[in-house]
Amino acid sequence: MIASLPALALTVNGQPFAGEVPRQASLLHLLRNDLGLNGPKYGCGLGQCGACTVHVDGIAARACVIPAHGVAGRCITTLEGLGRRGHFHPVQQAFEEAQAAQCGYCLNGMVMQAAALLAREPQADEARIRSELSGNLCRCGTHVEILRAVSLAAARLGAAEAPEAPR
Amino acid sequence: TLKRPEDYRLVGTPQPRIDIPAKLAGELAFVHDMRLPGMLHGRVIRPPYAGADHGDFIGNTLEAMDESSIAHIPGIRAVVVIRDFVGVVAEREEHAEQAMRELRVTWKPWPGMPDLAGAGKVADAIRANPATTRTLVDEGDVETALQGEGTLRRTYLWPYQLHASIGPSCAVAQWEPEDGGDGAGDGRDGAADAAQATARNGRVRLRCWAGTQNPHVLRADLARLLALQDVDVDVVRLEAAGCYGRNGADDVAADAALLARAVDAPVRVQLSREQEHLWEPKGTAQLMDVAGALSPDGGIAAYDFQTSYPSNGAPTLALLLTRTVEPLAQAYEMGDRTARPPYAYDHLRVQVHDMAPIVRASWLRGVSALPNSFAHESFIDELATAAGVDPVQFRLRHLPDERARELIEATAQKAGWRWRTGPQEDAHGDHPSRPPQSRVGPGGDIRSAAGPLPRRNAAPSGGSEPHEVGERGGDIVFGQGFAYARYIHSKWPGFGAAWAAWVADVEVNRRTGEVHVRRVVVGHDAGLTVNPAGVAHQVHGNVIQTTSRALKEEVRFAPAPQPVDVGKAPVPVKAPLPGMPPAGVVATREWGSYPILHFREVPVIEVLQMPRPGESPLGAGESASVPGTAAIANAIFDATGVRLREPPFTPEKVLAALSSLPPPLGEGGGGGQFTTPSPDQAPQPPSQPSPSGGRSQTLAPRRKGWPALIAGLLVGGLGTIAGLLGWRPAIAPVSFSAPAYSAQTIERGRQLAAAGDCAVCHTADGGLPNAGGRAMHTPFGTIHTTNLTPDAETGLGRWSFTAFQRAMREGISRDGRHLYPAFPYTAFAKTSDDDLQALYAYFMSLPPVQAGAREDGGPAVMPPNDLRFPFNLRPLMAGWNGLFHDPTPYQPVAGQSAEWNRGAYLVNGLGHCAACHSPRNALGAEKAGTDFLAGAMIDGWEAPALTARTTNAVPWDEGSLYAYLRHGHSPRHGIAGGPMAEVVHGLQQLPDADVRAMATYLASFNPPPAADPQALATQAVQRAAAGQGALLGAAQRMFESACAACHHDGDGPTLLGANVPLALNSQLTSTRPDNLIRTILDGVRTPPTRDVGFMPAFREALDDAQIAELAGYMRARFAPQAPAWADLPAQVARVRAAPGHGAPAAQGAPASTPAAV
Repeated sequence: MIASLPALALTVNGQPFAGEVPRQASLLHLLRNDLGLNGPKYGCGLGQCGACTVHVDGIAARACVIPAHGVAGRCITTLEGLGRRGHFHPVQQAFEEAQAAQCGYCLNGMVMQAAALLAREPQADEARIRSELSGNLCRCGTHVEILRAVSLAAARLGAAEAPEAPR
Repeated sequence: TLKRPEDYRLVGTPQPRIDIPAKLAGELAFVHDMRLPGMLHGRVIRPPYAGADHGDFIGNTLEAMDESSIAHIPGIRAVVVIRDFVGVVAEREEHAEQAMRELRVTWKPWPGMPDLAGAGKVADAIRANPATTRTLVDEGDVETALQGEGTLRRTYLWPYQLHASIGPSCAVAQWEPEDGGDGAGDGRDGAADAAQATARNGRVRLRCWAGTQNPHVLRADLARLLALQDVDVDVVRLEAAGCYGRNGADDVAADAALLARAVDAPVRVQLSREQEHLWEPKGTAQLMDVAGALSPDGGIAAYDFQTSYPSNGAPTLALLLTRTVEPLAQAYEMGDRTARPPYAYDHLRVQVHDMAPIVRASWLRGVSALPNSFAHESFIDELATAAGVDPVQFRLRHLPDERARELIEATAQKAGWRWRTGPQEDAHGDHPSRPPQSRVGPGGDIRSAAGPLPRRNAAPSGGSEPHEVGERGGDIVFGQGFAYARYIHSKWPGFGAAWAAWVADVEVNRRTGEVHVRRVVVGHDAGLTVNPAGVAHQVHGNVIQTTSRALKEEVRFAPAPQPVDVGKAPVPVKAPLPGMPPAGVVATREWGSYPILHFREVPVIEVLQMPRPGESPLGAGESASVPGTAAIANAIFDATGVRLREPPFTPEKVLAALSSLPPPLGEGGGGGQFTTPSPDQAPQPPSQPSPSGGRSQTLAPRRKGWPALIAGLLVGGLGTIAGLLGWRPAIAPVSFSAPAYSAQTIERGRQLAAAGDCAVCHTADGGLPNAGGRAMHTPFGTIHTTNLTPDAETGLGRWSFTAFQRAMREGISRDGRHLYPAFPYTAFAKTSDDDLQALYAYFMSLPPVQAGAREDGGPAVMPPNDLRFPFNLRPLMAGWNGLFHDPTPYQPVAGQSAEWNRGAYLVNGLGHCAACHSPRNALGAEKAGTDFLAGAMIDGWEAPALTARTTNAVPWDEGSLYAYLRHGHSPRHGIAGGPMAEVVHGLQQLPDADVRAMATYLASFNPPPAADPQALATQAVQRAAAGQGALLGAAQRMFESACAACHHDGDGPTLLGANVPLALNSQLTSTRPDNLIRTILDGVRTPPTRDVGFMPAFREALDDAQIAELAGYMRARFAPQAPAWADLPAQVARVRAAPGHGAPAAQGAPASTPAAV
C-alpha cells in the first residue's frame, strides 16, 4: 500500500480540499482522479494543446504540467466551477448558442481560456481572441464556431462593462 | 408513402445538437471520463519499432524486463508481459505513469525500417514496395495518345499524416468474475484461459468501454486476443476525441482488456500523447503519376492516372505484439477512391497499385480520394494553363455532370472568381482599376463566357503595375485557386457522397515562402439536407482540417544515425541512445513536431449549400475536404507561378520552388531569390570587469600565481605526510538532548540556513530535508552531501559548537578529517561567530533522521563518494587550504555603506555565491580578481556571470538583481532556473533588507545602470522580433506549437507564470547552450516562487535532433547578435546523458529503451 504521502490543501471550485497526495501527481490527476471532475481533459501532458486548462487564482493554467503540490493553498476553478447546467457562465452559454463543438474534447480548454480572457478584457476583439486561443488546439476545425461563441460572449460582457455612451 | 419535401417542418431547418450542454458542463460524455468503483490505472510500454506492423521481429523483440526497477513505486498491482506487449497497473495514475517511464525493459536488435527521412525517401519506398496493379478504367488507347510532344507528365506525393486526436486514446475494461469466484487469469498466459472461457452460461465475461469506430470489429478482435467467443465480450461504445478515421482507440481497448485480466478490478488505460502520435495507424502516404495531353481542338486528348496506395489493415496492436495474429504484410484494395477523374477524355486509363503498408496505417478522412483528387485537380489546372483557358471555364467545358456544373458555377459566382489564363494576373490584389466585367460574382456571369476568353498578357509584378499597397511592401502576392470533386467511396466503383467545390484565396510571402489561406468559399451539394447547421459545421471542419493538412502536416521519421562528433574523433553510434530513435521509426511524438492549424491561421469560410430538397441525402462528413488541397495549390500557382505537388506547402518548399524560377521582370532579379539575412556577426565588445575601483579585489579571495601553486602542491605533499600522522585532532563527541537556545536564536538560524541554501545541497531527490545524500558532480569526482540533522550516528548529533565552528571556518570535520571545498567553507568562514551559533542552534533543533533518509519512508540511501586520485586523499586538502583558504571572518570595508557591507557579508559568506558563479582553477579553487563571479559550470548548469561579463541583453543593476533574488524573475532578465530556483526559494526566508543588501553589493560589479534600462530591453526584444520572419522552417513551427503559448512577446495567451521575453534570457545569450538544453529536457517542476509558473519536461517527447533544431532556432531568433552554437546535436546528447541538477535518476532513463515511451 501507499506509505504516508505529503499533505496538500487547496481550494477547488470554492470547496476546500485537504488530503495526502503523491509528489508526482499533477494538478490534472488530482482534479480528475481525487475529485472526480471531468472538465479538464488530458491532451498532451506538455502544455501544448490546452485541453486541461483550469484557472489558478483566476489565471488560465495548464493543469497537466503543474504538480498538484505546486499550487498548494491556491484557488482552482474548473469547468464545473465556472457554471453548471441551468446556471451557465456567459461563455458557456455563448458556446451552447453558437453550437461551438464538434467532438467537444477541446471544449473545456476553449471555454476556460476564453473565460479568463474576458474576465480581464471583456471587450476583447476578434484578433485578441484569436491570439489568446492560439495555444488551444482543435482537431475538428470548430474554430469558426468557437470564435463566434467567444465574440458573442465578449459582446455581452463588454456591453455590461462598457461605460454609458455619451449622449 | 414518404412525406413530400414541401411538407417537411423540421427537415431542412437548422437544429441544435443535444450533446453540447453536457459537454459544456463537464458531465460524463467521453470514454476518458468513465469511472468504475475500484478502478485501477494502466499504462503500456511500447516496443522501439514505432510505426511497424509487419515483419517477424514483431512480438519477438523483448529481451528482458526488470520488475525490480519499479519496486520503489507504491501501489503497483501488476506488470504484464506477453511477448512484446508490456503493461503496468497501479492504484494511482501518476504511479502508473512513473512506472511506464521507469520500468527497465530491454529490447533485442531488430532489422529496422525503411529509411523515410529526407527528400524523395517516401516516394522511393512506395516505388520499391511490391504492388499488384488493378486496371480500373481503360477506354481508348492512352499509350498511343500520349506519344505526342505536348504530353505533360507529373508526379504528386501525399505525405504520411496523423489522425491527431486531441485526446489520446483511452479505454476501460472489466472482467466479470466467473461463477465460483476465480475470475481473472494471471495475465501471462492467454492460451491457458481459453478452455475455461468457453464454458459459461451466456454471461458476459469481458466488458470494455471504448471510443472505437468499429465496435463489432473490436469485439471480434478482443475475443480472438483473449480466446473468448464474441458473445462473451461486450463493447460499450462511448465518445472519444475526434479522429476522422481510426486512431489508437481499438489498440487501447485491447490493452485495457489484457491489463484488467491481470487484476481483480476494472482498469482504465490511457495512452500518452507520445504513444498516440507514435503508434496510431497513420493516414498513409500515396503516390500519383499522371500523364495527359491536350488535343488540337483544345479538348483533353488523353489522361493516364496511376495511383499507389500502401494500404491500411492496421491489425489491433495487441494482436501483433502478443503474436496472436501473424504480422504479415497485407495489401487492401483501398487506393481507388475517386480514382476516376470527373472529366471527359478521349482516351482514359486509371490504374491502382495495391500494396501492403510501409508504415502502420489506417483510413483517414477522404481516404485515398483526397490524394487522388489533389492530383486530378492540380493536373486539370495545368492543362487549363497550357490551353490558355480560365481554369473554371476549362473544367466546365469538359465536365459532363450537370449537377456538378451548376455547383461550380454557383460557387465561382459566390466567390467572385476572377477569370485568369495564367499566374500572377491578380497577384497584387483586386485593383480598383480592373474592369468589373472581368470578374464573376455580383458583377458578372460565368455563363456569358461562351467561347474561349481572350488571353490577357500576364502582368506580373513590377513594370507599370502599381506594387501591392500597404505596409507589406511587395513581398505579399495574392492568388485564387479552384478545385472540384465528388467523393466516391466504398468498394470500386463505389458510391458518390456530396459534391464539393472550393475557391481558395491565398497570400504568399515571396521573401519567406509563407502561405496564408485568407478565405475559402465552398459550394456543397449534399442532396436533401436534413440539418443545414450540421452540414455547415462539417464543411467548416473539413475546410480547416484540410487547410491544416495542406499547409502543415507531415509525419517525420527518424533518420539513419549520423556519427556524433564527441570531442575530436567522430564516434560511430553502435547502440541506440536515449535521444536517438532507431532509423525509420516515427519521430513525431508531440504537437511541436506535428503542428496543426491554430486560431491565428484560420481562414474566413463561406459555405454555399445547394438546395436539393427532392434528392437523396448524401454523406457530408468528408466530401468538402476532398478538393481542398488542390484548390490551395492552384491558388499558390496563381499567386507565384510555381506548382507545388508535394504537400504540405511549407515555407521551405515554397521558397525552394520560387528560387528555381527565373526572377520576375522589372524587379532587379530579386523577386524569386531568397537569402537569409546574415545576423550581425560582429563580436560583442569585450565586457569589462567592474569599473568600481577595485572593490572586488577587496573581497574576492586572494589570487595566487603559479609559483604559489607549485609551492602549495609541495606543501600539500607535506600535508599528506602530516595527515598520515593524524595531525588534526578529533573534537570530542558531545551528547545532549535539549540544547539551550532561545526560540529567537533558532529562528535566526533558520533564516541563515535559508540564506546559505544549506538544504539545497543537503537534500537528495526524494530524500528528507537536510538529511544529505545528494550527489555533487565535480570535475574531481562525485561526492555526496552529509546529514545536517542532529542524528547521533550519521548527523551532527555529537558535534559541539566548537566542532561545527571549525568545520565552517576551516573545513575540518569533527573527527579531524578534511572536508572538500564542494562544501563551501571557504565562504562560510566569513560568517560571524554569532551567526554560526544561531545556525548551529537551528540544526540542533531539527528532528534527527538518518543520513539519506527518504521522504517516502523507504530505506535510507547514502552512496559512497567516488573521487579520482589524488583528490580522494583528504589530507592533501591541508595544502590546498594553505593556498586557497583564508579562514578569517568578514571585515567590513571602510568607505562602503553599511548596506553594501551587509551584502558583501551575505554574498561572500553564507550566501557563497562565488561557489557557483566564480570559475575555478585546475585545483578547484575559485578564481578571483576579474574572474570573481564571472560565471562557471556547476552540477550540469551554467551559473552565469553576475558582473559586467554578463551576456545578458541588459546589464544587471540593483533593481533587477533585487527583483530576481526576491521574486525569482525580473522583467529585464530571465527566470531563476535549475539550482538557482532553489536558492531563490531559500532566500524567501530572508528579510527584505538583506536581499536588497545583496543586490546592492552585486550591482557594484556591474557598470553604472543605464539611464533607461527598459529601453535596452525593448530594443533587444524588437531586434529579435525583426529577424523572426527570416527564420522559418520546421524549427520555427516547432517553437510556435511547443513553446509559444507561454513564451511570447506579449502577443499570445496569458497563462499562469511569468513570461519574460526570451531575448532577455541569459539561457539564449550565453556562449554555452547547456542551460537552455537542460531546461527543455527537464522543464521547471519546482519554480523559485509562485509567480514563476511551471514548464513541462520534453525529455521523453523530443529527440536530440529535434532539441538541437529547436535550440538552434531559439538562439538565432532570440540572440541574433550572438554566434550560433556549434555541434548542437552532440551537445544535446552530452547534456541528456550527463547527470545534473533536476535530471532524472539514471534508472529512469535506461539507455536501451529509447523509444519505450
